[in-house]
Amino acid sequence: MVQISLSEKSKIKKGKYFKDKTGSKNLKKVNVYRWDPSSGENPRIDTYEVDMDNCPSKVLDVLNKIKNEIDPTLAYRRSCAHGVCGSCAMNMAGKNGLACTTPHADINGDIDIYPLPHLKVKKDLIGDLDGLYKQYQSIEPWLKSSSKSEVTEIFQSKEDRAKLDGAYECIMCACCSTSCPSYWWNGDKYLGPAVLLQAYRWIIDSRDEERQTRLKKVADELKLYRCHTILNCTSACPKGLNPAKAIAEIKKMLATANI
Amino acid sequence: MENKSPLSPHIQVYRWQISSLVSISHRITGIINVIAISLVCLWISLIFFSESNYETINLLLNSMVGKFIILGITWSFSFQILSEIRHLFMDLGYGFELKTTKISGIIVIFGSVILTIIFFIIGKSFI
Repeated sequence: MVQISLSEKSKIKKGKYFKDKTGSKNLKKVNVYRWDPSSGENPRIDTYEVDMDNCPSKVLDVLNKIKNEIDPTLAYRRSCAHGVCGSCAMNMAGKNGLACTTPHADINGDIDIYPLPHLKVKKDLIGDLDGLYKQYQSIEPWLKSSSKSEVTEIFQSKEDRAKLDGAYECIMCACCSTSCPSYWWNGDKYLGPAVLLQAYRWIIDSRDEERQTRLKKVADELKLYRCHTILNCTSACPKGLNPAKAIAEIKKMLATANI
Repeated sequence: MENKSPLSPHIQVYRWQISSLVSISHRITGIINVIAISLVCLWISLIFFSESNYETINLLLNSMVGKFIILGITWSFSFQILSEIRHLFMDLGYGFELKTTKISGIIVIFGSVILTIIFFIIGKSFI
């Protein structure tokens, strides 16, 4: 059911204000979504004044600076800091992206940081992605071939390999799925752009022998056709991939193939 | 503990993209158009019943509110036509590049205003 407004327990309150102590002239206000599971209180927005003269270029650096120098209680996921692991996906200035690849100079005014949209919050900027991972599992993202080919090398032509470009690079950061209004309202049934892009990646793999079964499996009013080409996914993808186009290709295959 | 978790803000904080704006407008204008067509049917059926109905409706449509409604419906149809063409291209698998979606979205938004003016002028010449 579509619920546009946030429920009472999810309402955001005004939080603490951390004044700058370094005496720097080049300050930027950073508003961060906070929620502490142990307190039982509503989520709040804490504001930090950050000295930008001594801060590297990315939003993740700002968060690290806050955690190291101002408030060690701030919780967020991060690992590689090079846009490869997909851990630091969050909503910055109203758009999803990886904190480690988003330059803070691109954001005018205060920097607003929220967790990925429409997820159950575990703590501060950490959202619960279990549902998405279960859906990922449901499309069976591994190569399926008969036992005969398991002992020999499966050849793939350069053309067939090229079809995987733009699909295999996905790092499953969930920026796209959590940017999709359709996924917000129907996230329990609609697979969402991230999982459908992966479904597409296995459907078009020339080495996979279960193409028909895979297509049949996603051909569902709710699983696939909740995509209304809103295209928030494509504009959010930090790797420059195009989940919307992949979904359109699956729809096209289903419209033209007789299964 | 799990059900105590709040839901992270979604539509409240997500910035509107041109593509999402066109998409939601497509839905809204679609609903408006269904209502508009029903009203036109009602209008025509009422004319069948009596001449005084015709005069009342004519008066209503020539009032400020009536003109606003007519213009609104004309825009709604113009938007739907252009947006639907954009969707047809997308169904064929074209126009998914980020730049193309932005340009086609802007064409739909501004085109709908221009198309409204064109429809209005054409309509005027019939009266």
